[in-house]
Amino acid sequence: MKKLISMLVTAALAITSVFALAGCNSAKETGNGTEGGNGASDFKVGAIYINSQNDTAGYTYAHHHGITEAMKQVGLDPAKDLFIVDNVPEDDEKVKQAIDQLAGNGCNIIFGISFGYINAMEEKAKEYPDIIFSHATGYLSNDKNFNNYFGRIYQARYLAGIAAGYKSLATGNNNIGYVSAWGTEYAETCSGINGFALGVLAVNPDAKINVYEISTWGDQELERQAAETLIDTYGCGVIAQHCDSAQPQIVANEKGVFGCGYNSDMTKEAPNAHLVAPVWNWDAYYATAMKAAMTDPSTFMTTVGNYYEGLNSGLVDVSELSANCEPQTKEAIELAKKMMISGEWDVFSGVKLSFSGDTGSVTVEKTNSALVTNDGKEIVAAGGPSVDDGVIQGSMNYYVEGVTQVN
Amino acid sequence: MRRYHLVRRADAKLNRTLIYYAIGLLVSLTIGAILLWALGINPFQYYGKMLTIGLVGNKYGYKSIEGLLKVFVPLLITSLALSLSFKMRFWNIGGEGEFLIGAICASIVAFNSSGMPNFVTVVLMCLAAMISSGIIGVAIAALKVKFNTNETLMTLMLNYIMLYVIRYIGDTKADWNFFLREDSERPIFGSFPESAMMGGIPLGKFKLLWAVIIAVLLTAIVYIYLKYTKHGYEISVVGDSAATAKYAGMGVGKIVLRTMFISSALIGLAAALAVSSAGTISDTITNDVGWTGIIVAWLSKLSVPAVFVTAILISILQYGCQAAATQYPAIDVNFADLLQGIILFSVLVADFAANFRLIKKEDAKNA
Repeated sequence: MKKLISMLVTAALAITSVFALAGCNSAKETGNGTEGGNGASDFKVGAIYINSQNDTAGYTYAHHHGITEAMKQVGLDPAKDLFIVDNVPEDDEKVKQAIDQLAGNGCNIIFGISFGYINAMEEKAKEYPDIIFSHATGYLSNDKNFNNYFGRIYQARYLAGIAAGYKSLATGNNNIGYVSAWGTEYAETCSGINGFALGVLAVNPDAKINVYEISTWGDQELERQAAETLIDTYGCGVIAQHCDSAQPQIVANEKGVFGCGYNSDMTKEAPNAHLVAPVWNWDAYYATAMKAAMTDPSTFMTTVGNYYEGLNSGLVDVSELSANCEPQTKEAIELAKKMMISGEWDVFSGVKLSFSGDTGSVTVEKTNSALVTNDGKEIVAAGGPSVDDGVIQGSMNYYVEGVTQVN
Repeated sequence: MRRYHLVRRADAKLNRTLIYYAIGLLVSLTIGAILLWALGINPFQYYGKMLTIGLVGNKYGYKSIEGLLKVFVPLLITSLALSLSFKMRFWNIGGEGEFLIGAICASIVAFNSSGMPNFVTVVLMCLAAMISSGIIGVAIAALKVKFNTNETLMTLMLNYIMLYVIRYIGDTKADWNFFLREDSERPIFGSFPESAMMGGIPLGKFKLLWAVIIAVLLTAIVYIYLKYTKHGYEISVVGDSAATAKYAGMGVGKIVLRTMFISSALIGLAAALAVSSAGTISDTITNDVGWTGIIVAWLSKLSVPAVFVTAILISILQYGCQAAATQYPAIDVNFADLLQGIILFSVLVADFAANFRLIKKEDAKNA
């Protein structure tokens, strides 16, 4: 017995020391390798995620998918040139440590995907002037190496609203539910709700949008309960959402109503309920940013700068329409999409669209009509231009007519 | 199964313990290696990066050491503090809550300190944190002494109360809330003014924070306190048997109150040092030291030098796991946590096996 134990111990010690040595050697090799190389092949991408890169849906998934796709487009290998610190909470100290790790590994550009990374990224951009810092959903930037980026997702939500509007007409149920992470506190959620509501009203002017706020970006249990309440108590026949998981769609599926997901095509989670989801194609931005940083990092802020694109660049879009959609939906969405891409019309303007006609002959009509809040305040006069970057930079804090927050 | 008994080994041999630890470590690393292999990653390379906390080939290696020390200091002090209360069998599992109270009170000082001298601010932050945490600790101890309440439950619940207090502060935009960054539409914690930042001794590019020196000194002080003072002796007597302590004429209630004050105040100090080193507060500022500290104290058998060593090893494990995970896109922190869990669990099982043995019932009769 004693012999056996001593053998085991020797083996254990030997193996652990081999582990350590092997690690050192191989690490040194790669270290030398990078020093020896030059040019674009040296380019390394760093990413800080709020959840995990191994997620199969949701916010981090969408960004990770975008970053890896973009890397392939610009000729980088995600398996070799991508460094990730994941599950980083919105805690300055942890974000700073994550940035130090990524900088230490030689990253040339660092993407931070969550709003709360803002303080740390601002500070570290000064500390590492040679690295580009790119921050999603923020509002800070500098003129050398720190930008922010976001998209006009409200445009895609308008399109999803059209699908929901047709559904409500077909079912004769004017109540539409919306499970939202936050309400008017955040322009991001509030502009999404408003964009969706205006899309619904363009098809069904009698519709009522009931918002249930869960006060967190993601909590599957709360998302579920909110959807159940909207269906059972408020009689909603379509459930839209701005929260992380597919739970609201799954509930809609269980209760035999319809829904619009978010972030990814949720038809696979809710095959009988899901209509269409507003989605992000983050690779559109990531490829642009990586290309610019690889070409000449010193001009990054003039070539890319702060980035707020929409349907026009493909950064936002809607998923493929499911078979649950009403037949006119596709044509109406195409019409609205064309007008937004060309810049002829935008959602939060003093012009309203209305859709009419049957399959094959859907027409859109523009009428001048003021943009009014649900408590009667006029935001844009009839015929006036769209409220612009205030929407994504964070000043929208009202609901439009037709929206009620139920909790 | 009824025929077997667990019996504590009469003799504690260091050799045997080390052998069991080595086996535990080997088993856990092998399980990890199989998982890594399944993910297509060379486990030798991965463990190498883990043990060297990603220093090799790192452009800013000194920052990794600074980061490691920022993980280590709060863990060390919290583990020491928990050992104090565990020594008298007071099951203080409220390290998280006590840490958060300290962090909040230190931050109140910090956010209102602009213009004050750095040294004064940091000392005030430490005092605010120690007093506030200490008072909570004493309050829970008083309930135990007076009404014989269950301290495990009380301290456990405290953790959640404080967690939600800090989340409330972090999520509430209001005029009174000086914790938040003013120019942001969304609620987000602000940064401390320069006056509240922990200073240090620059050694080249590396900066050795005062917090590290304080933590090391504190370890020596706690060691002496437990080993060579009357207070230390009283704590161990109360821990062995409260009745004996009473019979010997010791004021058990007083000893419990005093020790809990010191224990919680130390955790408060850890929090003040942590927020000052970070330059901000958040609801994840504890880095789970209230929980990890229990493991450290337990693995160390409440011995102060062992706490010091174990805290270093666990900090390297934590920091190294993350550093290694960063370099492999397929590996996320969940995997790093899983590996950490497997290693800690195996070591705890090994520790148990080193102290207990399974014997047959007949043998038990003979023994």
